[in-house]
Amino acid sequence: MKVLIIEDEKTLAYEMEAFLKKSFYLCDLAHNFRTGLEQLELNKYDFILIDLNLPDGDGLDILKSAKKSNPDAAYIIITARTNLKDRVNGLDLGADDYLAKPFYLLELQSRMQAITRRKFSITEELLPIGEFNVDLQKRLVIFKEQQIELSRKEFDLFSYLLLHKNRVLTRVQLSEHIWGTFVNDDYDSNYIDAHIKNIRKKLNTWADTEWLETVRGVGYRIKK
Amino acid sequence: MKLSTKLTLFITGSKLAIVLLFVLALPFLIKQIASQYTNYTLNQQRQKVLDIVSRNGLDYYFQGDDSYGSYTMLKEEFIALLPVEPSLKMDTIKDSQRLIESDTLNYRVLSYTFNNDNKNYLLEIGKTTDSINQYNKPLQQFALFVLITLIVLTILIDLTFVRILVRPLAKIIGTKLTNRRFPFKDKQEQIQTSTTDFKYLDESLILLMNQINEAFYKEREFTSNASHELMTPISILQNKLENLLSDENLDGPTSLALIEMMKTVTRLKNITKSLLLISRIENEQYIRDDEVKPLLLFNEIIEEIDHRLEEKHIKIFLNISPDSSLKGMNKDLLFQLFFNLVHNAIKFNRDKGEIFINDKYLNNGAYEITITDTGIGIPKDDLASIFDRFKKTNLQEDVGYGLGLAIVKSISMYHQLQINVQSEIGKGTTFTITFPNN
Repeated sequence: MKVLIIEDEKTLAYEMEAFLKKSFYLCDLAHNFRTGLEQLELNKYDFILIDLNLPDGDGLDILKSAKKSNPDAAYIIITARTNLKDRVNGLDLGADDYLAKPFYLLELQSRMQAITRRKFSITEELLPIGEFNVDLQKRLVIFKEQQIELSRKEFDLFSYLLLHKNRVLTRVQLSEHIWGTFVNDDYDSNYIDAHIKNIRKKLNTWADTEWLETVRGVGYRIKK
Repeated sequence: MKLSTKLTLFITGSKLAIVLLFVLALPFLIKQIASQYTNYTLNQQRQKVLDIVSRNGLDYYFQGDDSYGSYTMLKEEFIALLPVEPSLKMDTIKDSQRLIESDTLNYRVLSYTFNNDNKNYLLEIGKTTDSINQYNKPLQQFALFVLITLIVLTILIDLTFVRILVRPLAKIIGTKLTNRRFPFKDKQEQIQTSTTDFKYLDESLILLMNQINEAFYKEREFTSNASHELMTPISILQNKLENLLSDENLDGPTSLALIEMMKTVTRLKNITKSLLLISRIENEQYIRDDEVKPLLLFNEIIEEIDHRLEEKHIKIFLNISPDSSLKGMNKDLLFQLFFNLVHNAIKFNRDKGEIFINDKYLNNGAYEITITDTGIGIPKDDLASIFDRFKKTNLQEDVGYGLGLAIVKSISMYHQLQINVQSEIGKGTTFTITFPNN
């Protein structure tokens, strides 16, 4: 998958590149409006990440012209401007998603994964884990023919870990994913642990869950 | 008491006091005047008699007799002229009794001795005391009538003038001081007046309001800019840490340290986000046209926060009428407002505590939601400052960053809601949100 990152804050662009590289995305960087447009003329991309605040232009204008040169690409708008008008404008112009700074790279990656699944219409996807299968569309965990009921938050948590399997997810990353951009000031609470405990309890009734690991002091991981 | 009322009372009071004083003094004054006037006429009459005597001689009166006496029909006045001992010398006006034709009457009597042809004569002119005072009553009544008319007239004039004089002050109070909502959005109009004191007061107030406005806008702008500017470095920090953490070869202590750093960055991020939220609300960047059903809103909040209730074994009693509906709201902000309040009600509650959420319509049509907890309560001294940014109350708990209630306050102000707190240490706290004219 080829990704173009149009972001004037170089350090930030490098970090995004470093993270995405680990998941085998190929990244090009553009640090201003002009090079961004040039890159779009020269190459075809699967993902285009656009920062709205560029020193020499508005990211929304790039989005407009890129839609012509790269009609099949998926667009994610990244910005520190988080007012509703920009968000609506961006989505109206055909952006697939919108991320407000600061965001977790993990969140960026999972949004990209979601877009990929949507684009390639992977609708009947059943993710196997241990002796269970997870239906992301219907939001079900299935053991043989048996449906196991998880609460909304529990399923969010479980599927997030599953989509990022073999990676340790920290409690802050997990809680931010569950809570979204909602302002909440209390991250020391052990409610992620409480949710995991519930998930384990519900799944353990049917089969072993040793693949759901606690990484001491850090967070959780689904290992496969 | 209003200035105009005070002036009115003072003016009327002082004038009434003067009237009272005058009424008390009037009989005495009139008596004095009557008595003085009588003495004056008696002296005049004496002079007339003496003039006639010097011109025509005593015989003009005596007509051969050796004395002369005469009185009016009702014996109100008399005159007597008679020879006396050469040694007697008199020049007095006195009240005394005289016997005239078997009637003993009280007279004011002028007695005067004079020489004529080497003989000493006494002239007496008298006037009954009753006739002296006969005009006192009507005179008093007339004076009183004139006085009261004048007083009423001056009071009316004074009050009209006071009202005109004080009108600019009432205007200043009406337009600048009462019913003002901060921030002062509309431009301040100068009050037209020729009273320099009021002009000065008005100008000072306008200046002060403009300064407050300016300071407020500057602060708002600063908060907004600073938070925006902070977002990028926070992003970089957060993403760097994330990349470091995803390294498989990290040893335990390093990853724990990184986690701690990440928590700190998250905290920084949340403070910045909260400040941005407040500044966006103050900049009126949210649209208020949602219709919100409080019952649904609270159900959403409780679902969102359920794990915390379980964690502390807190029971929540939701008693909201399913028909209540609020118009002209921003749903996300309202959610945030009540979420923060419920969140606090959990955070500062005791284990196995309770939370009561009730609503009611007030008589004046306003709608009210109360959130009551059975928590540690807020000290009286802290109540006034809990809505301030970065004020930490309940220090022993040491949680939160002091912005939750500041957000609650700015959302309330933005929707023109009233918010009240009642609290009792060790018993709990009640937050009341009032939606006026819903």
